[in-house]
Amino acid sequence: MNNIYVYEDSFINLLNLIDQLFINNVKPYNIKTTNYNPDLFDNLVYLKIENKDILTKYKKIVDKENFKIIYYVYLSNDINKELIIYYYLLNYFKYKAKVMYMRNLNCVNKALTISNYVSRENHKFKGFTRFRELKNNVLFAEIEPENNILEILSMHFKNRLKNEFWIIKDKKREIISIYNKKKIFIYKCSQFDILDVNDSYNEEQIEKLWKLFYKTIGIEARRNDQCRRNFMPKKYWKNILEVSDEV
Amino acid sequence: MTLKEKLEILSDSAKYDASCSSSGSSRKSGNGIGNTEISGICHSFASDGRCISLLKILMTNVCIYDCKYCINRKSNNVKRAIFTPEEICEITINFYKRNYIEGLFLSSGIIKNADYTMELMIKTIELLRNKYHFGGYIHAKAIPGASNYLLKRLGKLVDRLSANIELPTSDGLKLLAPNKEENKITNIMNYVKENQNKKFVPAGQSTQMIIGASKESDLDIMSRSENLYTDYKLKRVFYSAYIPVNNDKLLPSLTVPPLKRENRLYQADWLLRFYGFKVEDILDKKNPNFNILIDPKADWALRHLDEFPKEINICSYLDLLKIPGIGVTSAKRIISSRKLFNISFGDLKKMGVVLKRAQYFITCNNRYFIDKQYLKKDFIETNLVLGNKIENNLNERQLQLF
Repeated sequence: MNNIYVYEDSFINLLNLIDQLFINNVKPYNIKTTNYNPDLFDNLVYLKIENKDILTKYKKIVDKENFKIIYYVYLSNDINKELIIYYYLLNYFKYKAKVMYMRNLNCVNKALTISNYVSRENHKFKGFTRFRELKNNVLFAEIEPENNILEILSMHFKNRLKNEFWIIKDKKREIISIYNKKKIFIYKCSQFDILDVNDSYNEEQIEKLWKLFYKTIGIEARRNDQCRRNFMPKKYWKNILEVSDEV
Repeated sequence: MTLKEKLEILSDSAKYDASCSSSGSSRKSGNGIGNTEISGICHSFASDGRCISLLKILMTNVCIYDCKYCINRKSNNVKRAIFTPEEICEITINFYKRNYIEGLFLSSGIIKNADYTMELMIKTIELLRNKYHFGGYIHAKAIPGASNYLLKRLGKLVDRLSANIELPTSDGLKLLAPNKEENKITNIMNYVKENQNKKFVPAGQSTQMIIGASKESDLDIMSRSENLYTDYKLKRVFYSAYIPVNNDKLLPSLTVPPLKRENRLYQADWLLRFYGFKVEDILDKKNPNFNILIDPKADWALRHLDEFPKEINICSYLDLLKIPGIGVTSAKRIISSRKLFNISFGDLKKMGVVLKRAQYFITCNNRYFIDKQYLKKDFIETNLVLGNKIENNLNERQLQLF
């Protein structure tokens, strides 16, 4: 039987589990969240663990840059991300901080590639996220990124739009981030969802102005759809106002 | 005239300016709205594939000058409009709040005179910064001929202040933009260079040259760029393929803008700024123009094959940068990795090296990827050009302009 170690989806739970595996000197066949559908030969193992200070512990052991790499891998949609984190940490204990330069190790190369992808997608959404203003002056955006970037993206808007009320909803993951001019709160849509999405009175006019600007600023003699799609992949267009009707 | 009509006219007449970059400044958010990010952020991409980062508009397209290549020249019969400062502020804030843009790019035709125009722009930007408390990115174009005290006021308000050199030589400028004296432009550049600091034009200055409207060679253009980078500490020189918007006997009658040439100039520009190349390395009087088939770095490498192959595990950082298919990022990765292990061809791929270009110019642990007898100019050139052709057909890429 293949031992699959199972954790309730959160970064802390995953770290707890991996930490436990290290302590018990167990090499997992795989690590999965509780949503995992087991195969015929899978044996699901639930470890009972609750170390509340696990983040403090690992932030002490792992330097800032490597910690960020691991966290970004966790935020990714990669199917093997848990195992990659496990092996990355295993190698971290052996090679310490310089492990991030050892791309000859498969798990390191994968972790770096994935963490880079998450970071790049986050950067893209700093630009591609589109808010609209609701009746109560709250700014509201919907996104559908490949990776779970809602939290790190919200940190960006916390600085940028710090005197606005805003809400960002990840439609794929059904989670929502709410900013009350002080702090960010992240909820599942089942706990908290936004129901009244009526626009403010001048929303339509502003959107028209933006679409007009977008259309005007492109130079027809240089038209290049391929290039546009390379930089702004079509999978994101649905939620980008100015191109949403070209989908 | 409605706001919509004004926006249409004044963004349409601003779109020929290539620069839309929002990088180089990292202001934390203050009491109002907005901050800036050092790397810049692209918010959208226009139908021409160019990044949209800033609300790029003119204050007005009224102009007392008659530059031959410019759509807003005095003698053109086009609709003219002028924004009020409040209108610009309202649009900027409303766009910024919705995360459409990173900030404002404000340029202008010259109305009445240079100082009057600059004062209008300053009034607008002061309003935006002080009343609307806007902390986002602002790039303003300085008006040639405006007084220094106005440059001083404007420079304190904006992230980037720039003046367009427009044409690579003063002869070109005299011919096509007779009212724009060269020293008016270099005065601005000098003033910005002398005064630049964290509080004055923190993101530095840039400029733009129009390519293909006058007769200059690539050597003329790149030499000018090199001077601009060293003499005025410019952050960027933008190259803008000439697009015919006016009929004039002094202008070439192009039907298609010289985009490939523009692309080669950008590649060479990168070589000057990040790869340790000098103009004399890549162009000379005998070869004053770029090879359209091969990028400038590969072209250089083919002319200096005696310096290759270079051993990846030994050669210096600057030498790594000279290898086609290796960029700044992958060169840095190689340097930090090879202390820890011996790099093989397989590892290079993982580090982001474009192996199908680099392989002809390198050895890994003294091994060449095929028999060394193939290390010949004709063989490599054919393969590189063929590779490019296939790629170009699949994917007519354009350089990103930020």
